[in-house]
Amino acid sequence: MKKQKVDVSGLIVKIIFVIAVLILWEVVARANLFGSRSRLIFPTIGDVLQAFVNNFKTGYAGSSFWVYIMNSMKLLVLGLFIGIVLAFLFSGLSIVSKTFHSIYNLVVSVFDLLPGVALLPVVIVICGVTPGVIVFLVVHAVIWPMSRSVLDGFLAVPKIYVESGLNMGLSGFSLLTGVYIPAATSYIVSGLKVGWARAWRGLLSAEMIFGLANCPGIGLYINQMRTNMKNAEMYATLIVIIIIGVVVQYGILAPIEKCTVKRWGMSK
Amino acid sequence: MENREIILEINHLTKVFQDEPDVNAEPILEDLNLQLHRKEFLSILGPSGCGKTTMLRCIAGFESYEGEILVGGVSTTKPGTDRIMVFQDFNQIFPWQTVEKNIQYPLKLQGIKDKDQLKAISDEYLKKVNLDGTQKKYPHQLSGGMKQRVAIAKALAQKPKIILMDEPFAALDAMTRNKLQAELLNISRQEDCTFIFITHNIQEAIVLGDRIIVMSKKGKIKIDKQNTLARPITPASPGYGDMWTLFHDAIEE
Ligand SMILES: Nc1ncnc2c1ncn2[C@@H]1O[C@H](COP(=O)(O)OP(=O)(O)O)[C@@H](O)[C@H]1O
Ligand SMILES: [Mg+2]
Repeated sequence: MKKQKVDVSGLIVKIIFVIAVLILWEVVARANLFGSRSRLIFPTIGDVLQAFVNNFKTGYAGSSFWVYIMNSMKLLVLGLFIGIVLAFLFSGLSIVSKTFHSIYNLVVSVFDLLPGVALLPVVIVICGVTPGVIVFLVVHAVIWPMSRSVLDGFLAVPKIYVESGLNMGLSGFSLLTGVYIPAATSYIVSGLKVGWARAWRGLLSAEMIFGLANCPGIGLYINQMRTNMKNAEMYATLIVIIIIGVVVQYGILAPIEKCTVKRWGMSK
Repeated sequence: MENREIILEINHLTKVFQDEPDVNAEPILEDLNLQLHRKEFLSILGPSGCGKTTMLRCIAGFESYEGEILVGGVSTTKPGTDRIMVFQDFNQIFPWQTVEKNIQYPLKLQGIKDKDQLKAISDEYLKKVNLDGTQKKYPHQLSGGMKQRVAIAKALAQKPKIILMDEPFAALDAMTRNKLQAELLNISRQEDCTFIFITHNIQEAIVLGDRIIVMSKKGKIKIDKQNTLARPITPASPGYGDMWTLFHDAIEE
């Protein structure tokens, strides 16, 4: 495995850029450029950092921001899990049955075009205002892109791997897990990336549109900060959202890619 | 050879690719009959499109067919580990498994669970194909010739009755090809295994085969000849030239 060369000059440029933006922000914040609303639009960096700590320490209405994060993550992970399992299940059935394949293909194409938020009213009618709605939207966000990738990936599996698998005695489910899934890993990983991105956005949108009092999440927290004019806390929450995105991208998705398709020389 | 048991018996094999149901397509193979003895190494020559690959795929169980194919006296229509196929394509071993896992995986499927035993088998067969030391490598780190060696080791390790090889060396450079021929010849002498080896290369067919078949259109067997030349066979061996010409003319016609 080759060691990746770090692009030092590129890194320095990025760091300088970030510092410059922060300085500019601070200058604008202290200059009161926007009159009375200046403090709201541009709280100082010190205020935001203080708010960051406060979010976790005091939180809102007696519950720490941790509680909100955990609630969101719980629903997100559950939705991702259900969505991914269903995507594999239906895509797997599609290799077995041609009829199922063409029907599922149609279903995926249609529902992939439907933004989850647009489904919200329908889902609320069905589920009521419960955490189930959020889970439903996360499932909806992840299942279609994931299925699309898995279906495409299965179709692209070279015939020679399938025949090798048959030859060594694989069939049915064992052929799926022994050949189709590993051979389609590069597609599956890209499906995971798209699915995760959509699920994360979908979750936050849903939480902001309607807050669940019994299961308050990150989206609701932002809304509560807004209504209480706690703009520094709002920005601090955005930072947390970005951090979560970075952790998932570089702490989970990138390592998965590195341990599979990159190591196997199967990157698309 | 004649007194050895018959391992493969093909009776009245006919294969039609029925792409469209109403059109009566021409058969690709018509009433093909063939018997193969245990431990025999059969080379098959023949012009492109005469049905060699199709015949091999019928034996492997990848194609439906009319007629009868008996392996060890038992009629077979589905793929099985008693007949292992080695393809021409370098990318037939699984890229997601290391070299040794590629060899061990089918063995695990056959029920060998013990790690040390698996390791011992994969090491043994990697040695046989001169690939000791590549155990932990992934296929994309190997050359084409090395990948074919792994495929052969993987096939042998499963201890099949018959190994079916469809021009496995055709895409290799001449030097690697000669090396692999010598290795395969050596291995085939040691293993209790029967080989069917399709090739376009007459020299290869003669060097490797105990018996050489020339096939023509619709899988008609034009020549079926025991290879009586003294081994090791080189183009300088007495009788080589005559044999070469015989096969060459039969293929050209
Ligand atoms: N899946 C298929 N469907 C229809 N025709 C096929 C198929 N596979 C092979 N053929 C035809 O069968 C004939 C024999 O092919 P093949 O067995 O590959 O020949 P060879 O290996 O001797 O070159 C060719 O004319 C080819 O076009
Ligand atoms: Mg062929």
